[in-house]
Amino acid sequence: MTQATNGTPMIRLEKVSKTFYRDKEALEVLKSIDLEIQEGAYEALMGPSGSGKSTLLNLIAGLDRPTSGKLTVAGADIGAMAEDQRARFRAANIGFVFQTYNLMPVLTARENVELPLLLAKLPADERRKRAEIALKVVGLEHRMDHLPRQLSGGQEQRVAIARAIVTDPKIIVADEPTGDLDRESANEILNLLERLNREFKKTIVMVTHDPAAAERAGTVRRLDKGNLV
Amino acid sequence: MIPIAYNVRSLFVRKATTIATALGIGLVVFVLAASLMLGAGIKKTLVSGGRPDYALVLRKGSDTELASSIEVRTVSLVLAAPGVKKANDGAPVGSGELVVVITMEKPGTDGQVSNVQVRGISDNVLTLRPDVKVIEGRAPTPGTDEVMVGRGIVGRFTGVELGKSFELKKNRPVKVVGVFEAGGSSFESEIWADIDTVRSSFGREGLVSSVTVRLDSPSRFEAFKAVMETDKQLGLEAFREKDYYEKQSQGTSIFVWALGILITIFFSIGAMIGATITMNAAVAQRQREIGTLRALGFSRVSILFSFLLEAVVLAAIGGAFGLFGAFLLSFAEVSMMNFATFQEVTFGFDPNPVLLGAAFVFGAAMGVLGGFFPALRAASVSPVDAMRA
Repeated sequence: MTQATNGTPMIRLEKVSKTFYRDKEALEVLKSIDLEIQEGAYEALMGPSGSGKSTLLNLIAGLDRPTSGKLTVAGADIGAMAEDQRARFRAANIGFVFQTYNLMPVLTARENVELPLLLAKLPADERRKRAEIALKVVGLEHRMDHLPRQLSGGQEQRVAIARAIVTDPKIIVADEPTGDLDRESANEILNLLERLNREFKKTIVMVTHDPAAAERAGTVRRLDKGNLV
Repeated sequence: MIPIAYNVRSLFVRKATTIATALGIGLVVFVLAASLMLGAGIKKTLVSGGRPDYALVLRKGSDTELASSIEVRTVSLVLAAPGVKKANDGAPVGSGELVVVITMEKPGTDGQVSNVQVRGISDNVLTLRPDVKVIEGRAPTPGTDEVMVGRGIVGRFTGVELGKSFELKKNRPVKVVGVFEAGGSSFESEIWADIDTVRSSFGREGLVSSVTVRLDSPSRFEAFKAVMETDKQLGLEAFREKDYYEKQSQGTSIFVWALGILITIFFSIGAMIGATITMNAAVAQRQREIGTLRALGFSRVSILFSFLLEAVVLAAIGGAFGLFGAFLLSFAEVSMMNFATFQEVTFGFDPNPVLLGAAFVFGAAMGVLGGFFPALRAASVSPVDAMRA
């Protein structure tokens, strides 16, 4: 597919390593990774379980910090940020799509989509309006007042995508977004991600095991034992 | 800020544990509110008998009317003291009264007895105590074996009902000819009989227990007290009537409060453990939700505050149950021993809004304490670890 890149790096990793410690045993999950992802790119990360792809995605999303190396996302050195700074960075720049949707079960679709806007200190009617627009983009304007349990898996994931885009973030990180869906629903989600990249110029980084999903991305990168191959 | 709807609805997802925990906290709030209300009720009942412009004279060294004994000839000296109000006819507003305690049987209790205070009164008692109103029947005729009884003990003792008789002392029957109220004061738990009847029944001829006088104004008390206490031969001690009843109420109200607080402490430990278990379970069950909220950008403080708020909402639900139950008690009356006079007195629960508010705040504080560590746990979890859970 055609990516909406403009040649400016949105994500840059320079010799980034990540080591986890379990008891006294060190486990190096990412080994001196150098990577550049352009603004407007749609990239898929593939690799066997334990290859480090989710760890890499977590670093890019600002959920975790590298053990060493420099990590720049949207122009910010997020590897050097403190916990609360990273939380603010995520709220402003990152949209998340998870494999298991991770919607709040007690909130309606619209309330779930409104959640990230609560951090933007917008008036209630503005939050409501933006949430409704986001749900319209994913084609769920008629299911706004439904709870997650009243929606199908595909619809839940579309609500999650609406939540991911409602703050108009620069980057969307998707961790196995089709992993829990049937093929038809998976295709709907992949079409939607493609549209967000193409029409809304979102930079998308997606972890997937599914070759059909990876095919939709402009670039596919493979990880194995903590190395980009 | 995470919307409160998230916390409130989450509580109702786990209805059974929410209700059980809320009831535990509600029980604590109920016990605390009830004991505070009863303590306040006792104070109100005992203290409301006293007025600021009234003075009570006892024999020096006597803490209570029951322990006091003053010769009748001294009464006129007290009534003649400066500062004592005069009625329109020029007579001083005051009288000597004789107080004794008798044991009476409670109906339907298989012979259970309790103490009742009997007050020997003068015929000017209703002038002296304008708060006292005869609500049924009439006042006893002076010099007869007639009595009137406070509305608080009507029916609580055998024969203490309008038109019935009971024995003031063995072979000394008296007839109830009236029922009076006294503004909710402890007088409503007394039997009032003619003073000579009481004297002759109990062999207390020539004596009174106390002299009560009305003063021209509350400010005349110090001068009146000085006159009463200067003559050491009289051996008298004067009290503001309000202070006297305040002191009378202390022992019983402190006992009730202390007992209530002791029970509250034990119950609250249990309720706090319940709140902690409930909130810990909530945090454990919602790890993924917490991780997601953290990923979306909500700070640790937001998560901490959100779960603390949830614990407070849980406690507030319980507190509302407890307050509702406690409020219902304001329609009930209990009779118990006044430790100062050893008489059984009927008390109400005083639904004082300040006390109810304090009990509710205590319940909410239990929620905060019980929920703090689970909330801290929720706030401490890393988003990556939480979403893996």
